[in-house]
Amino acid sequence: MSATATRIRRPLLDRLLPVWAVLVFAFLFAPIVVIVIYSFNTGRLLAAFDSFGIESFLALFQKPVLMDAVMVSLRTGAIAAVLATLLGTLAGIALARRSGRWTAWFVGLLVLVSVTPEIVDAISLLPWLVFLGQDLGLSIFNDGTVRLVVGHSLFSVAVVSYIVRARLVGLPANLEEASADLYAPPLRTFRTITLPLAMPAVLAGLLLSFTFSLDNTIVSSFVQVSGATPWPVYVLSALRGGLRPEIASVSTIMLVLTLIALAVVALVLRRAGDSSTEIARTIAGG
Amino acid sequence: MNANNDVRILASRASAPLVRRELSRRGFLAVAAGAGTTMLLAACTTPGGSPAPAATGGTLENALSIYTWGDYDAPEVLEAFTSEKGPRITLDSYGSNEEMIAKLVAAKGTSGYDIIVPTGVFIPQLIENGLLYKLNRDLIPNIQHVDDAYLGRVWDPNNDYSICKAWGTTGFVYDKTVITRELKTWDDFFDAAKNEASGRTSVLDDPVEITGIYYWANGIDWDTTDPAEIDAAEKFLLEELAPHIAAFDSYPGGAAIPQATHALMQSWNGDARLGIMNSPEPERWQWVLGSPATELWMDNWAISASAPHPEAAHAFLNFVLDPEYAVAQIDYIGYHTGAKGIEQMAEEAGLGMLDMVFFTPEQLATMQDGEINEAQERNVEIWNKLKAAAGA
Amino acid sequence: MRNRRLPGFALALPAWAWLAVFFIAPVGVVFWYSFGYKPGLFGTHANDRLSFDRYLEVLTPTFFDTFVATMWIALAGTALCLVIGGPVAYWMAVKAPPSWRGLLLALVLVPFWTNFLVRTIGWQVILAPEGWASQAAQAIGLPAFDILYTRAAVLLGVVYNYLPLMILPLYVAFDRVGEPLREASRDLGANRLRTFWRVTLPLARPGIIVGVLLVYIPLMGDYITATVLGGAKGNMVGQMVAAQFQTAQNWALGSAMAVTLIIVIVLSASVVGALLWLVSWPLRRAHRVMLTEASR
Repeated sequence: MSATATRIRRPLLDRLLPVWAVLVFAFLFAPIVVIVIYSFNTGRLLAAFDSFGIESFLALFQKPVLMDAVMVSLRTGAIAAVLATLLGTLAGIALARRSGRWTAWFVGLLVLVSVTPEIVDAISLLPWLVFLGQDLGLSIFNDGTVRLVVGHSLFSVAVVSYIVRARLVGLPANLEEASADLYAPPLRTFRTITLPLAMPAVLAGLLLSFTFSLDNTIVSSFVQVSGATPWPVYVLSALRGGLRPEIASVSTIMLVLTLIALAVVALVLRRAGDSSTEIARTIAGG
Repeated sequence: MNANNDVRILASRASAPLVRRELSRRGFLAVAAGAGTTMLLAACTTPGGSPAPAATGGTLENALSIYTWGDYDAPEVLEAFTSEKGPRITLDSYGSNEEMIAKLVAAKGTSGYDIIVPTGVFIPQLIENGLLYKLNRDLIPNIQHVDDAYLGRVWDPNNDYSICKAWGTTGFVYDKTVITRELKTWDDFFDAAKNEASGRTSVLDDPVEITGIYYWANGIDWDTTDPAEIDAAEKFLLEELAPHIAAFDSYPGGAAIPQATHALMQSWNGDARLGIMNSPEPERWQWVLGSPATELWMDNWAISASAPHPEAAHAFLNFVLDPEYAVAQIDYIGYHTGAKGIEQMAEEAGLGMLDMVFFTPEQLATMQDGEINEAQERNVEIWNKLKAAAGA
Repeated sequence: MRNRRLPGFALALPAWAWLAVFFIAPVGVVFWYSFGYKPGLFGTHANDRLSFDRYLEVLTPTFFDTFVATMWIALAGTALCLVIGGPVAYWMAVKAPPSWRGLLLALVLVPFWTNFLVRTIGWQVILAPEGWASQAAQAIGLPAFDILYTRAAVLLGVVYNYLPLMILPLYVAFDRVGEPLREASRDLGANRLRTFWRVTLPLARPGIIVGVLLVYIPLMGDYITATVLGGAKGNMVGQMVAAQFQTAQNWALGSAMAVTLIIVIVLSASVVGALLWLVSWPLRRAHRVMLTEASR
């Protein structure tokens, strides 16, 4: 293998990869660009562009149902994401670090959760939640947000578990053993070694769970209660009358808000510094 | 159980964790089994929840919950109700009748919805399951403003439970630049689907709408349960129509018509009207009312049997049937609301393409009411086969 | 010290409990429905007479045909997601500046915080016969785009909506390999390709498997994503299940179909997984060689 051949190959691959990444990101954002532009549509139908104007943004204030739906979705998404990430991270760590006879059963359960069609989840969850809330008197299950969070968290728990497990499995446990040998209590080991090791997976799981929750339609439409219609359910049912541009306006506003939130989080993280992740990564790579 | 029932196990150090795991796993299975049993019991419980008190025209409650299709009422009408009568309106949405019924049945009287908007063919089901409130007609005098032709339908002959909200019919739209000849009947629809519009045809995503095309074209009763006729419909649709279908789309007006993605689309009248009016080239499209026969579907106002606010619900129904709001409603949703004299009001208000909303008595005579009957299972089977064949 | 440690599954206990209460219990009931029947026109399910009849009703030629079509779409979709998303995940985890990585991860998901139907309309505007793509193509002399409602459009819709489910696990997979390990490999004389093939890929394998399964398994049960851009060509078997639960209001048959579908999906995933395991055997043998050398 001549040195020249290696040198020629190096820049090409290094140059191609970012180009591909940019193309894929463009692919991902292409319809979003369309939607942002069409949120300035003054026509009656979202899909038929008439002329530029901001009327559809103003329509938001005439229809409280739109913002209510968005708030329900955002609230539910945040709670469901945190909950699913919590449960899934613990489960993933257990699967990777403490596997035993129970692992097969648990993975089987997770597979079952991922494989079950959403309509089955929806049809089964509704009477069950009514049973818990009414017949057993656990009135917390009559609350709209609680029901939605329950419905959204099922698949997400499985996803986070898989990803966290994949992150940790096979990585030697010598760091944790070293920590234990140094008399660190298990909780400390968990907090300072295991969790930072798993952090990219936890973050990815959190983001994915939030995304799933925002788009969850079928389970949401079945378990929702009066006054807590989530955004995707509203959009689906508005199809019948022809989607109006204000739906795009709402989407644009949500997009801008989430981008601002991301920027804020990025700034905060940069200030605080993710030193623990860096240390862990350096050690783990060695 | 005796508290001193500890079991002592002597095991080697290596196998102790295994033993512990086994016991705990059994504990888990027991919990899961227990949960499962409770669930079985739950599934067998009888319906609960108390029915709503009778509405007598007393003071209105301060809230009203409407469970309806998304965006199906003019916002100004809802605002006017709150500002004039008081109750604050909460709107919730569903995407299909079956979903709404499943929710009401499962909630066993605790759903919290006052007003629901079922499509006519589902009303017998709702009545039989005891989910509808028997209307106090004295509280809804504005029912006199509803055209008699739209009252007393077959699913609720005395309007004890429901009142017309909006009705529509089925036909098709075609692109005149692709199909240059004139199409007039369902047979023409089949013919165009096989020829000019092959691979560019869409049908409604509903089993009875698709089998309906065959029955209406051949003069067979849409609600037939005769196995021979159903088999004939299946054979014809699978062989003659399925290979040419590009999409099963119930709302072509929302995107397919303005974007001209298909050349021939079965559609409901209001949806098609919306699409054509908002298309960049409206003259390109021609709407045809299905002939020689077609359907009349109707969405109805109804009150849930367990409505928490029956007074407000009746007041709302009376309010919304006032002719003052009829034009606002028809302008917003694009369908005939069943109000008397609304055609004139709409014309005066300058709404466009009214031939797609109002029909002559002769046309009305060709529109059939549907029903959900024993043929439904076969219809769904045919629908699945059509989808498999069209996807091949 | 070891005796005071919590049993292995203790950390998984919360998830176990959550899923037991909110998944096993209710879905178990639906499974129970599959042994019942539809009691008359307006009922959805009844279980006073138990039988396997519903399962026999499920196994129709239509079910098989639709299932085969579903498998093609799922396999093609998963493969495309892997091929398209893999390099992106690799770039993000390995090549991109470290301070950007969290942001890039979030950016991958930002488009999916817009509602599914709204994103679909966005694509329809671009891909319609007279949409943006068509107009752009015609401007440079190419024929008009007629991609909507074809098999290609099916895959486009599927890949678009499932790409994050592939990119994120793959990112986590490649990220765990770590720069020092790759540097060490190159210090030992391996070139970039060899490093990738013998070090990066084997270590990233668990995450790659997760990505593939996270796309394939839900996609097999999905029926909406494939139809939004592909129309009739995107018919999938999940639609038959939903049709029984919704339009036909026959929960007994729907449950039987769902159970059958679940079993078949798991079987097919196992077959696909076994094939992948076989294919990656040479990789694993190489991996073992690597570790032996390193530990000396």
